[in-house]
Amino acid sequence: MAEFSTSIKENGDIRIINLKGYLDAHTAPTLENNFTELINNSKFKIIVNFEELAYISSAGLGVFMAYIENIRDNKGDIKLTNMSDKVFNIFDLLGFPLLYEIYKNEEEAIKKFSGS
Amino acid sequence: MSKFSKNIISRQMQLFFIAAFLIFIFKVFYGSPDTFYLRLLFDLIIGISIFFLLLALIRSENSRSSSPLSLVLNVGILLAIMFFIIMFSDYLLTSIFENINLKLNNPGLVYNVVSVIYVFILVAIISFFLVTLRHFFYLNQTKNTRIYFNTMLVFFILASISLNFFKDESLSFIITTFFVVSVLLMVFNSIRISWIAFLTKKDKIYLLLLSFIITTLFIVNIINSSGENIHSQIVVGFSPSLKQFIQIIMIYGSIYFVVLFFTTLFHLPTAEAYDRKAQEVTSLQYFSKLITEVLDFNDLAETVTDITQKLSGSKASWIIWRNGSKQNSVAARNIGFLESDRISNQILEKINFEQLTSTKTINLKEKIIDGNAENLFSVVSVSPIKTRGETQGILVAAKETGQIFTRDDLSAIETFSDYASVAIENSWLLEQSIEKERLEKELDVAREIQKKILPLKAPGFPNLEIASVFIPAFEVGGDYYDFFKISESKLGFVIADVSGKGISAAFIMAEIKGIFESLSKTIERPKDILIKANEILWQALDSKSFVSAAYGYFDSKENTLTFARAGHCPLYLLRNNDSQEIKPSGLGLGLSDTDCFNHTLEEYSIELKENDTIVLFTDGVTEAKNEIMDDFGDEHFLKVLQSNINLTAEELSNKIIQEISVFSSSHEQYDDITLVIFKWQQKLKFDGD
Repeated sequence: MAEFSTSIKENGDIRIINLKGYLDAHTAPTLENNFTELINNSKFKIIVNFEELAYISSAGLGVFMAYIENIRDNKGDIKLTNMSDKVFNIFDLLGFPLLYEIYKNEEEAIKKFSGS
Repeated sequence: MSKFSKNIISRQMQLFFIAAFLIFIFKVFYGSPDTFYLRLLFDLIIGISIFFLLLALIRSENSRSSSPLSLVLNVGILLAIMFFIIMFSDYLLTSIFENINLKLNNPGLVYNVVSVIYVFILVAIISFFLVTLRHFFYLNQTKNTRIYFNTMLVFFILASISLNFFKDESLSFIITTFFVVSVLLMVFNSIRISWIAFLTKKDKIYLLLLSFIITTLFIVNIINSSGENIHSQIVVGFSPSLKQFIQIIMIYGSIYFVVLFFTTLFHLPTAEAYDRKAQEVTSLQYFSKLITEVLDFNDLAETVTDITQKLSGSKASWIIWRNGSKQNSVAARNIGFLESDRISNQILEKINFEQLTSTKTINLKEKIIDGNAENLFSVVSVSPIKTRGETQGILVAAKETGQIFTRDDLSAIETFSDYASVAIENSWLLEQSIEKERLEKELDVAREIQKKILPLKAPGFPNLEIASVFIPAFEVGGDYYDFFKISESKLGFVIADVSGKGISAAFIMAEIKGIFESLSKTIERPKDILIKANEILWQALDSKSFVSAAYGYFDSKENTLTFARAGHCPLYLLRNNDSQEIKPSGLGLGLSDTDCFNHTLEEYSIELKENDTIVLFTDGVTEAKNEIMDDFGDEHFLKVLQSNINLTAEELSNKIIQEISVFSSSHEQYDDITLVIFKWQQKLKFDGD
């Protein structure tokens, strides 16, 4: 089975989740746990870095949908960065760029968080 | 089988009775034989009769397989009977025969009958002793058991028969030699008594008492029968060799039981340890049987703590089981959960799961009194229970203040915790395989739902050639497509992909089918249908589920295709030798509320030309993977489409599927593959259905 892992970096009150490998129905719970833990610790400013993500399935996309409402209600956001063209196309097809802010790199996303 | 052996017994008994009868006849005719050869012949017949009797007794002994203790008791009873026979022979027999000395020289018929019966009662008793002693001896099986025993018997016979040969004083040392060798062999054959080791302490005390009485009775009987009384006169008068043989067996008996007495006596202090070992063995046997039978974790845990407590002579036992990041006490035996948790906490302060690789003892810093204030726990043993190579639980046994865990206790617990690990691992594996089976069943259901939801075949429609292919993935990807006959000139179609997999995706598919089927009947514009569908699904779906879909219709009067896309893969239009990706904007269904969805959704119309080919698909096509996880890809897909533009819709779909299966032949199909191809052929007349 395809491998997937995440790691979390701190940057002030912003948390940056790095995704690596294949995010699908089987590996989605790993990311779900990350989000749940951040929300439990009241960390609502979240950046997800897709640089090392090879593949995302519809179930993987669903993870972001599951938490965004709760996070935005708490004046936070999930911002997405460093997507490869392939991953971006999957997001784009579903119209995710209309729902999420997607940036080229972490710096832009961090700037956006501190700006607002 | 039993019938057969019964026949054997009776045949041997018959032979014995024939021999006994011969002895009687012999007695009647010859009285006390005085010549050497006659005496030898007589002893031979006696020997043969005893031989058959022994055989018969051994047979019945083997078929009954009674316990050693009951045999010992039987020996005791027979010895008591023998004691009374010898004691009262004087009174009884003198009253029958006034002058025994006269009778010996001149026996009548009555005397012969009485003496034969008397002797044969003794012979029967003696034979029983010999068979029992032989049985005990054979309990201790070694390589040469049979040889040792038979050698001894040969010397018994030699020591008895030799009385006939060496009457001369100068040669009597030979008789003495045989006798001494016999006694030495008896001692040698009596020293290794191992069967008592397996008796419980209670049985050992009982045996000690019994063997003391039996030894005493043997010695008393030997002394009684060697005196100058009627008994010895009758037996000697019957046959001096037989008298000698009886005495030898009695001596063997007394030696054996003396040794038995002392062996038991020496075993008594360790009897408790033996009891424990025996308990251990039984417990482990019981448990190894259990491993294959009990597969429920809780039942197993209860049994594990029960046996642990018995094995180690502990007051209480339980298991600290790790469940995710939490630990709790399970299957607590003889202790409350509150107390066991308090002890568990003390244990976990000193060691953690990873460190614990073997059984060890821990002295509790703070002694714990159990609920009813009877026991004060101060020391525990802890053993790892490992499943999947990790310490998943700790088996705890607790002893009261003043008690310790001996090395034996610990090794018993250690062995047992290994067994327990295997058993618990088994139950875990079974649970996994049941779960797997359940999931597979669930997927079967999901595939069945999907099969029923999808159209059996494409409908006939004027000017339109339709081909569709659907290849389900093992896990059910949630692909859906359908056709709706809106009117004579309008054919609606939908293609959709539900997020996620399995049974939940299959249920959402069913819901989608219902939505599109009803909406297509009342609403014509694709955009309006998708807006309505989003409205319904935004409410109905949980936040992480969504559906990508494309809905449209062909109009054979206007020669148009009108469609809208809600987050689905683009539509490909192949015209002449060109291909065009048509991707009007639109969010997936169930991702956002009506406002946001409405604003972004576009509708698109195409005026159709002869031989236009329209290709609809799901991402299962373009994301089909090869062995190095490369995608089949959009470009590859388009290339195949372009180079086969002249094929019919059916041929084209077959060609694409063929290309995909070649590409991903070495990789398991991960997602459903759906492909719907329309070819606009105005010359094609609808032939009705």
